[in-house]
Amino acid sequence: MHFDLIVIGLGLSGLMAAKTAAEGGKKVLIVGKGIGTLCLFSNTIDLLGHLPKTVKVKDGLSQWVKDHPNHPYSKVGLKRVEEAFASFLSLFPPPYSFQSLGDGNCLIPTGAGTFRPTYLVPRTMIAGATLKNRDGLIVGFRGFKDFYTNYVASQLGCRGVHLSLVEAFDREISAAALARLMEKESFREMVGREIKKHLGAETQVGLPAVLGVQDPFRVMNGLEEIIGVEVFEIPILPPSIPGMRIFNRFKEWLIQRGVTFLLGHSISKAILKGKRCEGVHILNPPVSNFYSADRYILATGRFIGGGLVADEEKIFEPIFHLPVDQPELREDWFRKSFFNNLPHPVHEAGIITDSSLRPIDERGEFLLENVWVAGSILSHHYAIDEKSREGIEIATGYTAAQKALEG
Amino acid sequence: MNIKTEVLIVGGGATGIGISRDLSLRGIPCLLVERGDFASGASGRNHGLFHSGARYAVSDPEAARECIAENRILRRIAPHCIEETDGLFISLREDGLDFRDQFLQACDRVDIPATLLPCNEALTLEPRLNPDLLSAVKVPDGAIDPFELILENAREAEGYGAKFLLHTGITSLMLDRNLVKRAMARDLINGEEYSIDASFIINATGAWANQFLKLVGLHIDMALSKGSMLITNQRLNQRVINRCRPPSDADILVPNHTVSILGTTSVHSEEVEDFGVSFPEVSLLINETSKMIPAIKEARFIRAYAGIRPLFQSEQKGDYRAISRGFVLIDHGKRDGIQNLVTIIGGKLVTYRLMAEKTSDLICQKMGVDVSCSTHLKPLPGASNFSGLKDRLRRIGQGAPADGAEILCDCEMIGRQEVEKILTEGKLRDFQDVLHRTRLAKGTCQGGFCIYRLLGMLHDSRITQRDSNKILKDFLEERWKGIRPILWGVSLKEEELIESIYKGIFNL
Repeated sequence: MHFDLIVIGLGLSGLMAAKTAAEGGKKVLIVGKGIGTLCLFSNTIDLLGHLPKTVKVKDGLSQWVKDHPNHPYSKVGLKRVEEAFASFLSLFPPPYSFQSLGDGNCLIPTGAGTFRPTYLVPRTMIAGATLKNRDGLIVGFRGFKDFYTNYVASQLGCRGVHLSLVEAFDREISAAALARLMEKESFREMVGREIKKHLGAETQVGLPAVLGVQDPFRVMNGLEEIIGVEVFEIPILPPSIPGMRIFNRFKEWLIQRGVTFLLGHSISKAILKGKRCEGVHILNPPVSNFYSADRYILATGRFIGGGLVADEEKIFEPIFHLPVDQPELREDWFRKSFFNNLPHPVHEAGIITDSSLRPIDERGEFLLENVWVAGSILSHHYAIDEKSREGIEIATGYTAAQKALEG
Repeated sequence: MNIKTEVLIVGGGATGIGISRDLSLRGIPCLLVERGDFASGASGRNHGLFHSGARYAVSDPEAARECIAENRILRRIAPHCIEETDGLFISLREDGLDFRDQFLQACDRVDIPATLLPCNEALTLEPRLNPDLLSAVKVPDGAIDPFELILENAREAEGYGAKFLLHTGITSLMLDRNLVKRAMARDLINGEEYSIDASFIINATGAWANQFLKLVGLHIDMALSKGSMLITNQRLNQRVINRCRPPSDADILVPNHTVSILGTTSVHSEEVEDFGVSFPEVSLLINETSKMIPAIKEARFIRAYAGIRPLFQSEQKGDYRAISRGFVLIDHGKRDGIQNLVTIIGGKLVTYRLMAEKTSDLICQKMGVDVSCSTHLKPLPGASNFSGLKDRLRRIGQGAPADGAEILCDCEMIGRQEVEKILTEGKLRDFQDVLHRTRLAKGTCQGGFCIYRLLGMLHDSRITQRDSNKILKDFLEERWKGIRPILWGVSLKEEELIESIYKGIFNL
């Protein structure tokens, strides 16, 4: 089968690239061996978390790109970052929309009782961004072991209540199962009533981020109607239900637009002829099929997804064998302390590209003519420490597709 | 607070605890003071190898003889702390067979059962062995759980009247002419001060021997040698695998529950707490041990750790009693004029009981008391009713209530019930104390997920008096020391996940 564009990778950058190309009327195949990392790490949309709340994101970014000329934001330019974000937002119309609080970052409570900075927050987490001391009642569930109510509550300076709903589940329940249960009206009403019983003078109720997968606004709204105060979700240990929602929305939209969506398929081999990729063998055991396209986007992520692979001595990129910019020795990958003011050098490793996101060598020559690179596999960013993961994925996924369509 | 006792034992490793059991079984009141938790030193940082003594048969027959005798005793008194795996000594092509022949003769001379196996039988027993091996000899090596062994000794000693002060350090010793009159100590967690009046003092501090002796202006000639080990993700060998050659680095693979432990190295150290494993050591361990088991080259490692061996250098003047070349018992009365102070140092984990016996015999002699040792005769408390994985799994599988059945650690299948049991046994002073007593966080993710859950649980039990997130961060920082040297391949993927959770989602 032949496509205009093959996107490799089901993370946010791959999904954005596929959306952008599909909107451009192209015939797109998106393929990935898993379901991307949205359901692992992403709860909200980060842009540049370490900017203080008081700084307008526009100003902060302008200064950032001046200070970091090799950063993905600098490569794509601020105009494209803005366009890419607009494109992302268009996928989430009300009621379950994403928004920023003012022009800058906001702080949302987490499952460790800390606060984390982020930029775009889904409707179901908005109230948490304005949580004040003692105004919140934190609610957890016995049997749901990935949220420890009293721990979170005491860190946040709030009261906590651990609901015991043994009739509904008698042992353990996972986040995904709890989220689906929440979508059942009868269960949700029971939860709402229980919370209301325990509610004191609090003006907000915080729950772990399990308020449904399909229709989270309905779940939140339903609870608010019964309890009578604002309800918000708190990001917890993976799997991330909010992340799953984003993935599902993209998937639904892409399939509806005729994009070929191959989940759970891995690339076994890319066929290169000179500086062109001729096609890829896609493995879905026991069969392997050959797919070709005019253009390709490599959006395979970092170590978790296998976009980058490390052996005892060095890091390599397993599909196109692109050179990976990296520290000289494995001893220099990580610093001696886990927590540091400075990030671990290995996180900056990745594929070097020019401003059109095509991979280049040390002389600046294109390594491949018809392959573009997007997402966290790019070099010169520290997504975890900068709190820039989703922003980089959105901006570079969008740009790579635009550039691929131009070129 | 003032405490009076007959014998003050300083050091809560295998030797010190072994002495507390020996003395208390003899009816002698004793107090043991340890600045950390049990097994903070070499006792908690070794290979877990239950020696048959074969490794020393050629180079140190006396030590080998002691080992095999104690090996037999420990099988009787502590079967629940030992996995009787047997061991193999294998010769590779580059080793030749000369040493193997010496080895067989030497084992025979010191009464260590050593059986030559046909190579194909060895390969059937241990399929991952290098198919190119020249020879395999079976010996009664095994795997031992040092922490459980030490805890068991302590439990019994306590039952017979021994007292323990953990997380307590000796701050000064007062001399009166030729005797140590009093020891001052401080609880390192809450600052409480103790004055201890004892008739005799035993220095069982291992690598810290000189730091302790400094308090009375003494010094012994001692070197520190760091030994590093790597833990694999899965158990690669059922028996202990040794290299049949003169003892050297990276010679041994010990199976331990669900993992294998590669070891060891011998690096001169200046620091008593130099527990970092260097990158060259990691390469050495993998390259050498993979000659015995090639699968090690592709193995995933979950942790690197090191222990410090105190190496006593024998001194010119021989006025004190040296029991064997394996360990040394110093009578400071004979050596330095301080009549009621002795130091016991060196040895192997497997000879701890013998070291304790000799030390206790000396103390009794000094006391003028004629009671003999019974530690080799009496089984440890848990010996009669040990349950293993099967029982644990059955308990988890049964319809227990929501909380009890909740699994906290998915890697090692540790349930809430088990942790609650540890908490109620009491006397736990800090977070690491809890971790020492469970296999939680010892599996593949090294606590990446379960630590969050454990903290949540402990928060309710009030063990964690300080800020829980500080404890979490301290834990992650401590964990890091063991992880950083082995981050590549799958371990690196896992680490990306852990960092994304704690620094990313939780913004710690």
